[in-house]
Amino acid sequence: MMKKNNMRAYLVSAPAMIFIGLIVIFPIIYTFFISFTNMNTYHWFNYDFVGLKNYQNALLVFDSGFLNAILYTVLWTAVNMIMQLIIAFVIASFLNIEGLKLRRLYKTLLMFPWAMPGYISILIWKTGMFNSSFGLLNQWLGTSIRWLSSDLGATICCTVVNLWLALPFMIMIMDGGLKSIDKSLYESATIDGAGCIRKAVSITIPCLKPIIGPAVVITVFTTFKTFDVIYLLTQQVGSQTGARIHTIITYTYENAFITNNYGYSSAISIIIFILLILFYEMTNRRSKLC
Amino acid sequence: MKRILVLLLCIMLLISSCAKNNQDKKATITIWHDKEDSVVAILEEALSPMKDEIDIVFEKKSSLTESLKLVGNDIKNAPDMFIFAHDKIGVYAEMGILAPITDFVSKEELGKNIPLTVEAGLYKGTNYQMPLYYETLLFLYNKKYMKEQDIPSTTEELYSYMQKKTKYGHYGFVEQHSTPYYAAGWIHGFGADLTDKEGNPLLATADMKKALSYHKKFVSLMPGETEYATVNTLFLEGMAHSTMNGPWFISAVRNAGIDVGVAPMPIVDETALPISPYCGIQGIHVLKAHANEKKDEITKVLRALQNANLEISLALATGCAPALSECYEDERIRSSEVVMAMKDTASKAMPMPNMPELDVLWSVMGNLLTDINMRNVDVETACSNAQEKALDLIKAMR
Repeated sequence: MMKKNNMRAYLVSAPAMIFIGLIVIFPIIYTFFISFTNMNTYHWFNYDFVGLKNYQNALLVFDSGFLNAILYTVLWTAVNMIMQLIIAFVIASFLNIEGLKLRRLYKTLLMFPWAMPGYISILIWKTGMFNSSFGLLNQWLGTSIRWLSSDLGATICCTVVNLWLALPFMIMIMDGGLKSIDKSLYESATIDGAGCIRKAVSITIPCLKPIIGPAVVITVFTTFKTFDVIYLLTQQVGSQTGARIHTIITYTYENAFITNNYGYSSAISIIIFILLILFYEMTNRRSKLC
Repeated sequence: MKRILVLLLCIMLLISSCAKNNQDKKATITIWHDKEDSVVAILEEALSPMKDEIDIVFEKKSSLTESLKLVGNDIKNAPDMFIFAHDKIGVYAEMGILAPITDFVSKEELGKNIPLTVEAGLYKGTNYQMPLYYETLLFLYNKKYMKEQDIPSTTEELYSYMQKKTKYGHYGFVEQHSTPYYAAGWIHGFGADLTDKEGNPLLATADMKKALSYHKKFVSLMPGETEYATVNTLFLEGMAHSTMNGPWFISAVRNAGIDVGVAPMPIVDETALPISPYCGIQGIHVLKAHANEKKDEITKVLRALQNANLEISLALATGCAPALSECYEDERIRSSEVVMAMKDTASKAMPMPNMPELDVLWSVMGNLLTDINMRNVDVETACSNAQEKALDLIKAMR
């Protein structure tokens, strides 16, 4: 009977598994296959098996520039993650104040950046906010500062845009988490004479931890492999700003993917894929320990 | 009676299916492009007399170059032909998806075009493109601010004008100074080039360093941002007196109510050579996938497209210069200020290289220009680093 039930479960989930296999597993396997060939402009359709040669060449990309990119990526992920958690917690707490008027309107407005395609949001920030001639920031301040020209300035601007894009998700999770906390805990704490900070530290944060754990892992993973925010704001061909900041993905894009050497680029992708899996495992273990 | 009716119906069905089969035999030619609707309307109009014989389908592809890489030799999905600039010919020829254009039209027929436009389609001795029109950057100025006597004939005159007029939010001259396609004109004006004929990078030559150092002097009088939107908006808002841009920009300028003039490119004082931007030749290419099977139909389409009236209409709609020499005998073309300026500038312009290595060089050159113009890196160091990087990437590419 048990076996029959198992069989039925597999059959029912088979279409979804096949679909996931096609869109997730197949590209990874195909990339892995290409990484062992010399598929490039000169051998586009008549490529041959070249063994580990691409991996040997790929290791040359991992020079000092790549190490700097790794450091930058770790810093970028940490700063963004901490800021997201703090800001989302504060906003979600405000949204949960009892008797707050127009709560649904605020929530809708806060979700707005999520509804907009990232590509468009980033370009609007670039030209609408940071542009030195027409941007709102300089119009308001009456200055002509080039916000994206230095590494530090560009990092701050990229962080602001990344927060704008990522906060709705974290706010939504935090809001859900806050709603799920039993109100009687707060009532008991109030009777015991606890203040707002004590309640937050002793009740809210411990109760939120297991709920936001998976969201934190997902966000860390997404932030670690950021490409669009940094590339579109500072490095897009024809509109570079002068800042030279790189995450591992933008660095490898500039040093490998533009070569049209798919074998070589696939080898680099597989190495980065392994790095990301390792990073994920580390984050996952740490979140389990917490 | 019923039986007769059923029999009649069967016969009618059979006849109609036969007719449909005959109709289905009409060949279909699919042409991929990334052009504006106005250009496609002119092409469709020119090919309309063939519609009883051949179904011609124009399909717009926003990422045409990447789509061709994916399905270029796939018989089921590849188009028969595509319209694009000549600079990707090397990539597609090396990939082996292009058929020589001379398999369909003779060298004599191609010879009716301006030589520059035919030579641009050559890759390793084989011609892969039938040119339709060509385009290059023009020196555009706002007549409200830049008067006839102010139009600079040399780069030093341009610099003096910029020094005088760059103030209170106005700029004497703006361009996408750190974009290789735009900066190339200055580089050529010093006799330098991005690459040699074999695709080897030439980013650290003495002429290149001289050109980039000289160009930087002008960049200091331009806005910080170098991208298309900022440069174009400054000119459209009347805040920039002159610019370098392509013919595609002129209709937007006129729509903005700006009285725009077109002048020859200034001559570099030091070399006596004009600023010589790259020239792009838009043409039609044939893919190998269906080249043999549809040879007659493809030949007919190519011949129909090599038509002076069609190219004149295209030129008047786009501001680009026709490839066929005979078009320049037409009064409408001779009286078009933009087209004739284009022809004049293009006579001194350099056709964009079409070797695959250029894909890599655009990126390295962009970084080099950004380093010099926006990060104040010393020209000598920046050029040496860029040359080394270009060599590495080209090695990885091969």
